[in-house]
Amino acid sequence: MNAPQRRRSRHIPLATGVLALTVLAAGCGSSLGNEGGSDAAAEVKVGLLLPESGVYESLGKDMACGWNLYLDQHDDRLGGHDVEVVRADEGEGPEVGVEAGTKLLTDDQVSVLVGVVHSGTALGVKEAAVQRKVPFIVANAGARDVADGSPYVWRTAFTNSGVGASIAEEVATSVDGPVFLMAADYAAGREYVGGFREAFEAAGGKVAGETFTPFPDTENFQPYLSKVKATDAAAVFAFYAGGAAIKFVQQYDDFGLSDDVQLYAPGFLTEGAVLAAQGDAALGVKTTLHYSNLIDTIENAAFVDAYRAHCDGADPTVYAVQAYDAAAVLDIALDQADGTDSASIAAALSKVGEITSPRGNWRFDADHNPDQTFYLREVTDDGGTLGNAIVEPLSE
Amino acid sequence: MQWLDANYLNMIDGFAYAGLLFLIAVGLSLVFGTMDVLNLAHGAVALIGAYIGAAILGGGAGAAAPSGLQFGAAVLAAAAAGLIGGVVLTMLTNGIDDHLRQALLTLGIALIASDLISRSFGADERSVAAPRGLDKSVDIFGEAYPAYRLFALGASVLIGIVIYLVLEHTQIGAVIRAAVADRAMVEAIGHRSTLLLGGVFAVGASLAAVGGALAGPVLGAQSGLDNTILLWALVVVVIGGLGSIRGAVLGAVLIGQVLTLGVSTLEEQASYLMFGAMALVLLFKPAGLLPARYGAAGGH
Repeated sequence: MNAPQRRRSRHIPLATGVLALTVLAAGCGSSLGNEGGSDAAAEVKVGLLLPESGVYESLGKDMACGWNLYLDQHDDRLGGHDVEVVRADEGEGPEVGVEAGTKLLTDDQVSVLVGVVHSGTALGVKEAAVQRKVPFIVANAGARDVADGSPYVWRTAFTNSGVGASIAEEVATSVDGPVFLMAADYAAGREYVGGFREAFEAAGGKVAGETFTPFPDTENFQPYLSKVKATDAAAVFAFYAGGAAIKFVQQYDDFGLSDDVQLYAPGFLTEGAVLAAQGDAALGVKTTLHYSNLIDTIENAAFVDAYRAHCDGADPTVYAVQAYDAAAVLDIALDQADGTDSASIAAALSKVGEITSPRGNWRFDADHNPDQTFYLREVTDDGGTLGNAIVEPLSE
Repeated sequence: MQWLDANYLNMIDGFAYAGLLFLIAVGLSLVFGTMDVLNLAHGAVALIGAYIGAAILGGGAGAAAPSGLQFGAAVLAAAAAGLIGGVVLTMLTNGIDDHLRQALLTLGIALIASDLISRSFGADERSVAAPRGLDKSVDIFGEAYPAYRLFALGASVLIGIVIYLVLEHTQIGAVIRAAVADRAMVEAIGHRSTLLLGGVFAVGASLAAVGGALAGPVLGAQSGLDNTILLWALVVVVIGGLGSIRGAVLGAVLIGQVLTLGVSTLEEQASYLMFGAMALVLLFKPAGLLPARYGAAGGH
């Protein structure tokens, strides 16, 4: 008695589906007909969600510059389609950012969403985007749970723990003695240190101690640095960004640690505007990151020149490259996509393959994070300008 | 002995921080004690001082260490800006006796001011260079310690002594104290109390700006610092006792040690220590540890 009923119930949605498709096709047919039946003429609507105010303003500026540069180099077209970019301010945190992202999805009806610096915002926006089946290309936020293989979420940046782990073997082999770990006490800080610690101990490294400093309220690192000195630590691995990165690096030098305790860190410690503010205190700090404007390749040299010309003489940062690559990914995907709607873009994103980038070529892994090369970088002074010179590529 | 070995640097740094905290808090305490005005724009005024320091002294890559003369100029410029800010705040708060309305008004001014500051200086965090000669570390019993922090401590002690001498041992200090106790009587003997108290407000704000400028090489200059400074100042003043200079000294020393020695000893609780200390003091001495002997505080 159950069987026929079940069969019938399966037929009803199928029939409705066919009906809906017919209606849809009829509707699309007329609109496409007006544009000469050519798919390539259809415009693609992209939502660009970047911080335009608050503490991440300079990151947002770099990313907007990288994104605009790519469009500029490609006649404002992605995959042969004209692009309409709708921008929104991500602000400082999820309370502003998630709402702005949701508005891009609902009110502006964008086909694809790009950007987001803050991990909390990225997690919220991801939920909204996946629910509406709109692809979301994450161009910075590094929290582990952002990219999980969902067909709608693709990250052109990094994972916090991946950055931490990338330098672990190098530290384990080149430091003679235990290493002290410290970071700002929030989710990202714990992911960086956790990723580093796991790989570091697996490589035979010994941990001298571990401390997490209150976030964001640590102005004075003296008590913590004294604690490091009291141990037999031969090196420190630390994660800080923004204002805390400036104070940490300066005080690390002020309290005399930089002379004999090598400082290792994820590259955000000395990336972009904070490096200039740190000044000479940053000299000799060794970091890991998937980019430096000093990468010595023809592709990167061309990129740096173009970026300087396009962005008021500024040097490109990792943030700029991540946004530049987000545009590149979208370019390749749209070139292969059947249309400019969300579903077509999402389907095409799984077929982008290798991406040529100033950071070196990379491709998406199973979780849709970049499978990329990290570089060991050291802060050096090149005639009054501080930069992150490449020491060597790090094998993962 | 072993404990002292492990912690003497924390204690020294605690005193250096106490110096900065005192400078930041004493203006707030003075204005409340003598004028009975709760000035929540105090942190914003200090931030203006910090940015004036950043603008004059520079900092970061490629910046040469400023000379002592430049540093003096920066502090004086901050003092002048603070004076002007204080006069403006006096005019705006004149005639408002209700603490809640004062707080709302000055908080609004603070929000506008900090927004204007971050618009004109940009959102990027600035570091401020210490003057030449103080931009290095000195050796304290074998441990490196930044020379500038010792200088800042010395400067704070000096300023504190001057404030004390002026208030307790000069004619104008006596008049200020009298005006606080009985404004009408002071007017009756021929002093215009609004002018007098406006002057105190200006000096209080000027002290905040000087504090911000002197703290620059330690705390930098960035948006949000105004809130941190205001919070520290309020905690110090509440612990020490509103309107009391000696209280501000004691509160600053206590919080300075809590932020260094305390953080080092109770690392896991670092985030709660400052407010924990304040809560303890309020529990046992609700008027603060050394409430004003004169003045409006506690008199309502």
